[in-house]
Amino acid sequence: MMKKYAMVIDSSLCIDCKACMVSCKVQNSVPTGHWRNWIKHTVPDFTQGPLTRTHFQPGGCMQCDNPTCVQACPSGATYKDAQTGVVRVNEGLCIGCGNCITACPYGARFRHPEKRVPDKCDFCLSSGRLERGLVPACVDTCPTKARVFGDLNDPDSEASRLLKSRPTMRVEAKGVDTKPNMYYLASTAPLDWAGQVQFPPAFRSMAAVVNPVVKIAAGVTALGVAVMWVRQLLSPGDGEGESSAPKKE
Amino acid sequence: MEPVIDSMKSGSVSAKDSKRLSRRGFLQASAAVAATAAGVPGVRGLVSEAHAKSAAPQAPITSHYTVCDMCFNRCGMIARVQNGRVVKLDPNPKFLKSRGMICARGNAAIAQLYDPDRLKTPLLRKGKRGEGKWQQLSWDQALDHMAEQFTRIAEKYTRCGVMFSPGSDMQSQFLNRFAEVFGSYNVTSHETLCLLSKNRAYLDTFGETPYPDVLYTKYIIIAGANPFEAIITPDTMDLMEARRNGCKIVVLDPRYTKTAALADEWYAIRPGTDMAFFLAMSNVIIQERLFDPDFAAEMLHGLDEYAAHVRDYTPEWAEGECGIPAGDIRRIAREIAKAAPEAMVYPGRRSSDYEDSTQIRRSMAIANALLGNWDRPGGILAAREVGVRSPYYDVPWYDDNPDDRIDHGMAPGLIHHEGSFKLMRDAIIKEEPYPIRGWFTFKTNFMQTAANRRKTLEMLEHLDFVVNADIVMSDTAWYSDLVLPSPSFLERDDPVGALQGSSACACAVWRDAVVPAMYESRPMLWICQELSRRLGFGESFNFDIEQYRRWQLEGIPDAYDVIKADGVYYNPSKVYGIYFDTPLKTLAKKIELYNQRYVDEGLDPMPVYKAPRRKDGTFRLVVGRTAFFTHSNTNNGLLIEFMDENVLWMHPAAASRLGLGDGEKVSVASGAGRVELSLKHFEGIEEGTVYMATGFGALSPGLHLVHGKGASIAEVLEDHADHISGNMAMHETLVTVSRRGA
Repeated sequence: MMKKYAMVIDSSLCIDCKACMVSCKVQNSVPTGHWRNWIKHTVPDFTQGPLTRTHFQPGGCMQCDNPTCVQACPSGATYKDAQTGVVRVNEGLCIGCGNCITACPYGARFRHPEKRVPDKCDFCLSSGRLERGLVPACVDTCPTKARVFGDLNDPDSEASRLLKSRPTMRVEAKGVDTKPNMYYLASTAPLDWAGQVQFPPAFRSMAAVVNPVVKIAAGVTALGVAVMWVRQLLSPGDGEGESSAPKKE
Repeated sequence: MEPVIDSMKSGSVSAKDSKRLSRRGFLQASAAVAATAAGVPGVRGLVSEAHAKSAAPQAPITSHYTVCDMCFNRCGMIARVQNGRVVKLDPNPKFLKSRGMICARGNAAIAQLYDPDRLKTPLLRKGKRGEGKWQQLSWDQALDHMAEQFTRIAEKYTRCGVMFSPGSDMQSQFLNRFAEVFGSYNVTSHETLCLLSKNRAYLDTFGETPYPDVLYTKYIIIAGANPFEAIITPDTMDLMEARRNGCKIVVLDPRYTKTAALADEWYAIRPGTDMAFFLAMSNVIIQERLFDPDFAAEMLHGLDEYAAHVRDYTPEWAEGECGIPAGDIRRIAREIAKAAPEAMVYPGRRSSDYEDSTQIRRSMAIANALLGNWDRPGGILAAREVGVRSPYYDVPWYDDNPDDRIDHGMAPGLIHHEGSFKLMRDAIIKEEPYPIRGWFTFKTNFMQTAANRRKTLEMLEHLDFVVNADIVMSDTAWYSDLVLPSPSFLERDDPVGALQGSSACACAVWRDAVVPAMYESRPMLWICQELSRRLGFGESFNFDIEQYRRWQLEGIPDAYDVIKADGVYYNPSKVYGIYFDTPLKTLAKKIELYNQRYVDEGLDPMPVYKAPRRKDGTFRLVVGRTAFFTHSNTNNGLLIEFMDENVLWMHPAAASRLGLGDGEKVSVASGAGRVELSLKHFEGIEEGTVYMATGFGALSPGLHLVHGKGASIAEVLEDHADHISGNMAMHETLVTVSRRGA
């Protein structure tokens, strides 16, 4: 059965201990100076005196349902995995253009300094943790269990139950509804940190021409078609069906 | 489901693991390995994914229980091993004490294991101390040299002429045993820079060193502690769980810690004035009769005396001392009394703060007594029985030895088996009452952690032979005469450890080596065996680790198999009401608000407030820890990314009065020394206080990440001592701060 992996985070439990960041770094051999995940925080207002507080907010790639990084990828290397819902990078197809990095409003990607390809959180899929029955490294290690990981297609998963029972919110990007799969239990902060999506110039100029065509072509984007075509051209032997073209909803 | 646990010796491939790996996962994993192994852009451009995946099969991952050693809290871990290398450390979900977690430090243990700075062979000093000229020795040469030096010192200065400092390690019990059989009483440890004042205060109030039942508490005042940040213990997770269940958290701390950031109320109390707050709080509880009279009648000794004692310690008086408004003190006292007995003043851990720290902590302990929370859910609990035994051994008698340890009688409340590093150091320098000429330190680094480094250096001038066993070239190792390479916790078989952490956590564990010891590192048991043989008492260490564990577990025969299967054994012993119908181990057999023994020692029987010293133009320097470093263990390739040097926090208002800008290099001077580091403007610190983190400004070039980075607290802290326990008092230093070079 197809899975839709997501994270539901109770950021009010986060103590900013950095365990998730080190655990991820070790599990995924993330190079020095880079991180696949993070803990953001509000700026304390000391005029509040004894009531001064800080809210810590763990995060990482939001595995968006409308992934702007996938749309910005010219080679099909970045794709939304239909089996898991995880946005992944096929390093073999990557041409190293870096468009996906600026197209992510969350700063969830970085260019791997040695491999020269984008690197990002994949919920520990490629590390093999999930297949070994383990949860992602950041979730497993969290002292206060602020991060909850699960399959939203499974109504009995802890993530699904949390999502149903508690009001949640998502960090919204400016101008684009990315439909992220990282849910925060209500009253998380900060919420204003996501940046502007920066599509590559070629994409923007093409979009003006292509968009009307897309509408006619029953919801399939020209970019999606192009990407699919490029992918098929480049990887004829890839019959594992693990990838999908970007879908616009 | 994982984990499947394999022993290292079998080296077996987990069949379950390989079956579970689907073809797709297998291929993907192989590709990942191929790409990383080459360390180059694996496959680029127009090569199909299928080609990329035709790599060698990936080696299976085996899983092994172990117990963390990145602090002294001993959290349960599962080490994942692939191709003979530890590739990941995950929490052991059956390890309730650590609540199924590993903190940042624990995750970074892998960087300690594979640290390029590790000591690899025994090294003998050739040049002057600290000059860094070393000669590699074989272990035989090193052990022969040690035996010769110890014998020489013992013959000339008695066996007490060698001081021993075992660190917080599961093998330290062997060095303690060695010291005792060798014949020296002069053993001191890191605890004398840490929690002795708190332990002393609770021993002298409750007759026990207690554990707070944070999980079930409804109201908690945290003063002089930082459980959400400084160290991750069960209390950390339990405090968060309690908070989720509505527990109110009030933090008194001159600086805005992570605990303060997550509290309901945070008061930037003036450092050293906590006792004023707790005396006033006790005043309100007693005056307004907010305590449980039945509990008081049954359990409290000296309530009338204490009531009279605190009568003048009003909230209005306390406000003038500690800076917290009287109205808030009164309100907090009423609120916590209402929540009692499921309410507490958190006992804390490190209490090496003030010359009056034992009495300050006693004012907190007595506040707990007034809340009636002793031995009850949500309160202050007695230690539970774990059942691990200390195997018996003969301790020989040496006629020529002095009567007692060197620091005996130098502090009225010295805890005998710990002593006081500060007082011992003074005595060694004075060579009174007798000389000490040798020092054996194991995984502890007084050169970085003890106040006033110059005095530690001065002490070394009185020592003929200093030997240090550690994983890396610490500052203490750098100034030693002989340095011995130790394995990390992942490379050795350790004896059983009895752990106590909170209400749910009386357990027993051991460690089996996850990977073989690297380089020529040898565990402390082996060193003690080899050395004792050379010194003629080899029979005291004539056992292997397996035999030793069996002896330790004789009283709990089930434990052996359970630890083998789960990595941990829990003793289902009583949690609450341990003292029901049993008198307390105090003189009065009750909770002592009034301490008769203190009177006999010439001490105040009840805590008397003494205002901290103040001097115009100076700041009080406080020290503390971050969420990711333990003490001086900062030289870690993974953790250093969070903080690569320490800085001095100062309130912007104070900084602007001195004309010091944010980020500017400043000079911090005290009676002990002067350091330079960068200034950080931070509103979250009391205006008369400055703060710096522990563990930087290392002298040893063998710690390449922190050598010369930031500044060492040991360089600038003056060496005051708690006048009751002899514990180091690390918050008694007044410093001036100026622009560098000014």
